[in-house]
Amino acid sequence: MENYLVAIVTFAGIYALLAMGLNVSWGMTGLVNLGMAGFFALGAYASAILTVRTGAWIPLGFGLAAIVAALAGAALMGITRKLRGDYLAIITLGFSEFVRLVAANEIWLTRGSDGISGIPGPWRGELSPAQFNVLFCVIVLVLVAVAYVVCERLRDSPYGRVLRAVREDDTVAAVAGKAVDRYKLQAFAIGAGIMGVAGAAYGHYTSYIAPDIFRPLITIYIFLALTAGGVGNNRGAVVGAFLVMAILEGTRFLWDVVPGLAAVQKAALREIVIGVLLIVVMRLRPEGLLPEPVPKVLDKETTR
Amino acid sequence: MNEQEGKTTMIIATHRLSRRSVLAAGAAGAALLAAPAVVRAQAQPIRLGSLTPLTGAGGAYGPRMRDAIAAVVNEVNAAGGVRGRPLQLVTEDDQTSPEAAVRAARKLIDVDRVAAVMGTWASSVTTAVAPLCWENRVSLFTVSGADSITLLPHQGYIFRTQPNSRLQMRTVAKFAVDEGAQRIAWMGPQTPFAQSSIEEFQQVAQAANRPFTSLIYEADKATYRSEVDQILRARPDFIMFGGYTPDSIVLARDLFRAGYQGKVMAPAYAISARMLEALPHEVTQGAMVYEPWPEVASTAYSRLQRLLGSGVEVDPYTAQTYDHANLAVMALAIGGDGNGLAIKDNVRRISQGGGQSVDNAVDGLKAIVAGQKVDYTGASGPCDFTAEGDITGTKFRYQRVDKGAFQVMKIA
Repeated sequence: MENYLVAIVTFAGIYALLAMGLNVSWGMTGLVNLGMAGFFALGAYASAILTVRTGAWIPLGFGLAAIVAALAGAALMGITRKLRGDYLAIITLGFSEFVRLVAANEIWLTRGSDGISGIPGPWRGELSPAQFNVLFCVIVLVLVAVAYVVCERLRDSPYGRVLRAVREDDTVAAVAGKAVDRYKLQAFAIGAGIMGVAGAAYGHYTSYIAPDIFRPLITIYIFLALTAGGVGNNRGAVVGAFLVMAILEGTRFLWDVVPGLAAVQKAALREIVIGVLLIVVMRLRPEGLLPEPVPKVLDKETTR
Repeated sequence: MNEQEGKTTMIIATHRLSRRSVLAAGAAGAALLAAPAVVRAQAQPIRLGSLTPLTGAGGAYGPRMRDAIAAVVNEVNAAGGVRGRPLQLVTEDDQTSPEAAVRAARKLIDVDRVAAVMGTWASSVTTAVAPLCWENRVSLFTVSGADSITLLPHQGYIFRTQPNSRLQMRTVAKFAVDEGAQRIAWMGPQTPFAQSSIEEFQQVAQAANRPFTSLIYEADKATYRSEVDQILRARPDFIMFGGYTPDSIVLARDLFRAGYQGKVMAPAYAISARMLEALPHEVTQGAMVYEPWPEVASTAYSRLQRLLGSGVEVDPYTAQTYDHANLAVMALAIGGDGNGLAIKDNVRRISQGGGQSVDNAVDGLKAIVAGQKVDYTGASGPCDFTAEGDITGTKFRYQRVDKGAFQVMKIA
């Protein structure tokens, strides 16, 4: 049981990284990023290919994952900077499918739909599976903590205020003399970079990646996590990710308490319960469990 | 399983199935440890995991696959279990997704402590859960076809009852040549077996001096007109499909529209009953399908059909998971501690190498307890494994579509 809980916390941590990455681009800057699975995949593949092919030090893989995903994010934002809302959503969704198809077809680089197996993990051979499990959980939680601190600093800083200004009305931000396109590009790249790190963590943890893992379903889960937790709130992103994982995994144990159903009905019921729970959260707390805090400066001005 | 390793080796040697009993043993001290492990092991159930796709792309097969495993578990329990220990089946849904399957497998292995995970269907799912299985010494029985699976460093923990895709393709390519194909083409989406399919077809075609051409397309398109035009430039008279039902429907329709007159062949899961319903008869007329075919004449197959009820279609995957459960149960009876290691070490002792031929675990258990050597012949075939965990010797069934219905051509 302990191993399982540790593993689930690890996966929830990876979801939390993704949710924070999404929060930077969507929550703070208002750039809908349905290409999340694509950046997740880019990070996973970058790190896996580097460490498997060259035997490079694993932290270098994490670094490369962040850089590759961030550059791809910057490039994508660069060519779509005139798009907003629905159009940006469609383009980014297309981007993630594009990454998945390249991963499936460029067999020389990615081993195609067979996927890359045997991705090294830190001290994987020397530790027992249980010890490795705990170690990696700690690594992921440290990554979550670092990402949280960075994202919070970002949000609190003047830079974060500009991002929020861009989100609320980019014309006003432009009139105020802010280089809106540059801010968008940077925010999108930072978010993508965090997602890339999450991808690297996933690959080194499970030791196997394949194009099938990076289907758009995971993007939906993370959108739900961030919306349930609270868009624009980093703490909400983390809480939402753990909540979604708790719902995904907790529903497994419903099987024992629901009598008289066939296995396939229980499986279907589980998916229904996941959907219903998420709808309930949305219905009762549309602003999320932890709404975005109103900036202090504004507080003072309105109460004066 | 592994927090136990920190304790004395004595505990591990005597019993490693349940954490609770390890703690109890630790509290009771050395006196209890000195008692024979069998005494404490008697009432402990042995858990087996079913990880079939109950939802997602494999959802059409998974429920029946799981029912076949459950049927074996119920039969064995009714007959008194494995050497006095009852079996307990734990079912999880792999959702046909490697990401979800890893979490499900973790639950089976870490929470339920199953001895075996059975019935993984999609190749990516099997490859994703395989490292968890071998690292935690849990046996993995799969129906996935990708060649790469048994090439993983699995230390003997993987058993695959599905003929690997190279073996399938070689057989089918030879069938194509025998059917008089002069110019052969292969069309399919990118899958774990696309590349090996093309290579095998190419080799057989070359050996028979037939021109060969291939094309990989994108799976979810609404039309394949340009792909069809491209492949027809090579003027093939035999086209092999390598995809699934949705893309095969579109492809067959577009080939018909383009006036293609030659033969078409596909795996049975691609040109399925659903496809025959979806398309007019003239489009599907003469199309051929193949599938690894259960030993329909075998007593194991008819026994499984009886267990599941006559209204249930016993497809090859269901037959294979039935064999998974029988193999695992008999291997557990040979010896060991009722865990994945025991299954890994003993499967080949009951699946091959002569001895009394048995077709189900209940008879097999009786014979094993009586000290006899058994050789299991299953519902999917003889169930003999190579050192890598691949199956040897499987039959194929070939059918042809006539007026929207399948007609059996041959089983060979």
